[in-house]
Amino acid sequence: MTTRPPSPGKKPVAGIGPQQWRDFWTGTVAIAPLMPGSIVFGLAFGALITEVGLPAWMAPYASATVTAGASQIAIVEALRQNAPMLIAVATALVINARLALYSASLAPVFAAFPRRWKLILAYLMTDQSAAVSVFEAPRWPDPVRRRWFILGVSGPFVTVWIAGTAAGALLGPVIPEAWQIGFIVPLMFIAVMVPALRTWPAVAAAGISTAVVLILKDLPYGLNVLIGALLGIALASFIPDKKADSGAEPATDPTGGEGS
Amino acid sequence: MTAFIVFTLAAIGTYLIRLSGIFFLGDGEKLPPRVRKALSLVAPAAMAAIIANALFLDGGQWRDFGAWHIAALVAVGVALWKRSMGWTLVAGAGAFAALLIAGL
Repeated sequence: MTTRPPSPGKKPVAGIGPQQWRDFWTGTVAIAPLMPGSIVFGLAFGALITEVGLPAWMAPYASATVTAGASQIAIVEALRQNAPMLIAVATALVINARLALYSASLAPVFAAFPRRWKLILAYLMTDQSAAVSVFEAPRWPDPVRRRWFILGVSGPFVTVWIAGTAAGALLGPVIPEAWQIGFIVPLMFIAVMVPALRTWPAVAAAGISTAVVLILKDLPYGLNVLIGALLGIALASFIPDKKADSGAEPATDPTGGEGS
Repeated sequence: MTAFIVFTLAAIGTYLIRLSGIFFLGDGEKLPPRVRKALSLVAPAAMAAIIANALFLDGGQWRDFGAWHIAALVAVGVALWKRSMGWTLVAGAGAFAALLIAGL
């Protein structure tokens, strides 16, 4: 992470105008708070790759192609247990099915973009960048400025993820197991989601989804996550829109799921 | 070699998943309001699902109550108070570290 914008000046830099650089940079700043988490999670994934005896280059390869941390870990776990290749791939795709939902929610946001931009921005789509893009898009009515903003959100975030995994594979387990680095996963998603919970349907979607995930916890292959998300969306879409006041109950309150 | 093939196939499949909504629902402006509303709920629902699965469960079993739950509660509280990603991460990580050091 650099601390200042890539000095736009008055002339285009690399054929890209100063306004585009500024919009790109605004996007990068918007997602920057999540980058340390991504790097730490990347270090952990890279270390995991070498720990199970795979070559170090496989870590950045996986991060640059699959680009979805949870599914990459699931693949490593499946390979470690000598699961058939098809099961390993299918598990990853089930976990990543949620990206189809993000893709659908980004369709209106990307609607006015040229095809090559859609292809590139789809490739760079992550949970974090999709959420930031959807939440911030209404502030960017101009499609040109919007796509540079979203590129700034998505591109650098994927870059630090790949760099983090490469570093993790080279350095090995630099992070002690006692630190329980897995906490990064819920923490990052709380940081993205909770500040953006501003309507009753959104609060309900989060609450219903949480309850269903816990009730269906015994389903295999992470299906509880997929079904929880789908039911949360389906049921909460019946709740009328009305601004939630800031005192709304946090949907991820740990006590919320204890009853199931 | 097996790992290379698995990652490559998963990458291709995942890219197709990423493209699916953008290209099937290309002209989102013409979608009915109900569908648009459902799509706006995707992010909170999917993220809550991942949070619940990672926070309350550990390999399909209930996670024992402790540092994870308390630090998450601190993070949620700060998130609602400050409405800021950065402060939420700092508070959550800080609380978690403090709880681990305290032996929870």
